[in-house]
Amino acid sequence: MDNEINQYSKGSAIESWLIPLIIIIFCGFTYWLTTGFDRMPPILKRGIQPSDFPQLLVVLMVGLTALFVWKDPIKVSEKIPTPTFIALGMMLVFVLLVQLDFFFGLSIFCLGLTLLWKDRRWFTFIFVGLLVPLGVFFLFDQVFEVRFPRGFLTNIWYG
Amino acid sequence: MDSFFAGLIALADPSLVLLLVAATLGGVVIGALPGLNATTGAALLLPFTITMDPVAAIAILTAIYCSATFAGAITAILINTPGTSASATTCLDGFPLAQKGEAGRALGLAVVSSTIGGVFSVIVLMLAAPLLARAAYSFAPPEYFALTLFGLSMLATIGGGSPIKNILAGCLGILLATIGIDLMTGVNRFTFDMSVLSDGIGFVPVMIGVFGISELLVQISNNQAGLERVKLKAVKLPTKADYLKVWRTILRSTGIGTFIGILPAEGATVASMIGYNEAKRWSKNPEEFGKGAIEGIAGSEAANNSATGGAMVPTLALGIPGSPTAAVILAGLMVHGLRPGPTMFTEQSDFAFSIFWSMMFVNLLFLGVGLWGARIFARVTLVPVQILWPCVFIFSVVGAYALDQSMMDVWIALGAGVLGYFMRRYGFSVVPLAIGLILGEILEQRLGQSMVMLKEQWWLLPTRPLTLLFLVLTFMALFGKPIWNGLIRLHSKV
Repeated sequence: MDNEINQYSKGSAIESWLIPLIIIIFCGFTYWLTTGFDRMPPILKRGIQPSDFPQLLVVLMVGLTALFVWKDPIKVSEKIPTPTFIALGMMLVFVLLVQLDFFFGLSIFCLGLTLLWKDRRWFTFIFVGLLVPLGVFFLFDQVFEVRFPRGFLTNIWYG
Repeated sequence: MDSFFAGLIALADPSLVLLLVAATLGGVVIGALPGLNATTGAALLLPFTITMDPVAAIAILTAIYCSATFAGAITAILINTPGTSASATTCLDGFPLAQKGEAGRALGLAVVSSTIGGVFSVIVLMLAAPLLARAAYSFAPPEYFALTLFGLSMLATIGGGSPIKNILAGCLGILLATIGIDLMTGVNRFTFDMSVLSDGIGFVPVMIGVFGISELLVQISNNQAGLERVKLKAVKLPTKADYLKVWRTILRSTGIGTFIGILPAEGATVASMIGYNEAKRWSKNPEEFGKGAIEGIAGSEAANNSATGGAMVPTLALGIPGSPTAAVILAGLMVHGLRPGPTMFTEQSDFAFSIFWSMMFVNLLFLGVGLWGARIFARVTLVPVQILWPCVFIFSVVGAYALDQSMMDVWIALGAGVLGYFMRRYGFSVVPLAIGLILGEILEQRLGQSMVMLKEQWWLLPTRPLTLLFLVLTFMALFGKPIWNGLIRLHSKV
């Protein structure tokens, strides 16, 4: 138990400086990107240069980050729950499966979600993995005339 | 006056009425489902409304807004789980009253209070929005810039995050709005030579991500197995004695809610908290609060529903969203090519009044829905989460794709969902991000126009009286509380 508490406080301590660090690195990278924007001659710049506004925001964000580290540091009481971690991983799998077929990826992801909620009934599998994606596909295809990306399943309908 | 009646005549269209009835029922279901709220519901439905007529599309979104805000009370009273955050205070007295076997009385009071609050706020909306728009008609770019800045400064107090983190999230939203071709100069910014990013990041996929997908990631770790349900035999109207006891509370909370709603970025949740607290403060029996006081239910529900109409005032008249859901509605207006602001009441006043009358219709409609259908709608809480959330994910992803039939929007929605989850985890509200994204482009445009107008002498901004007023209000919104606290500390030391 003590080990768990120690792990939490250790994790929280790391996150309390890691998050501001990530924000500052992001701001630094963004600022560097803005330096590569085209600059307009004075007569065409219409008030401000294209890089001025993003640069102003980035500087403000760095200032606010410093302020929240000082006044309101990040406190996390618990680790990221395992189901959330798995769901995040499943999103990556979804991105890969979508390359094969959009609705295949959706079905597999949703089946994974039902399993994460510890539901192993056939009815749920068929409803969430088959009936809902199929219903949504035909709703959008027939009513809203949306054309989905081709894949091994959608090709059965599209020909 | 012509527009006033033209808006009413729009409701004579049976297809619009049918859509509004369907949207109201859908909104009640969304509001009754714990985890889903008006903002998420409106964001998920936004892609479906793109191909519709603008009046029908925006009327549907406002119907979802009004009915979902009310419906949060159903689950708050029956299962002690607020369907929406705006109903959290309704739990405090609604559930104890239901446990005493008076669930019907609690729901009846919630419905009547919500309807009175909602109808009053729509009347205020009808009167105040055109007046506010007329006042804003004389605004030049510096005034608009300062006003937009003031609207953004109100983000400091929105949601559950700390003010500093909220403003930081708002800045990130504004930064995201700079992606794409700069409209003032035609220069590409943050596009990484990808043509798909030239038009910038769409509001809809980001809204779907931060409100829908991030909520899924939060909900997946929640266990809802332990819900306690109260049996509901019948829903009955409050008695005459109940009315006599709460009428002052309803009126007070209606006023509070409408006022809070009008303030940019403040929404129904803040209104319900203040409405509840004031009901307790003014009550002759404050000790009954938390044990089933009917004034507590009335105070919370009248305030949260009156905030819906109030929130639409700055949204339509100034283009500054009055609440998170109003931000989604604002995104819907912009997707349909409508620019909220003063011109809406001169060039599109028929449209504006159609929306007002639709909101009035919906507020009256859920009186019936709430009184006779609460028992049925309470059953939606029986939908298992393992079916509900996969369905939400499918609609989120397909909805994001359907808008422009672009996979990039799907990736943006997923990315925004993951970002939203981590923002919430570390105490950043996602609402400022969404509002920043919507207002970012306008803010930059108005800053640029102001610089042209003032010949790049930005220090002349405060020399314009209205601009100075908005800048002072912005300063007060950001630093008022710390300064006030500092003064109190100083005074106590002396």
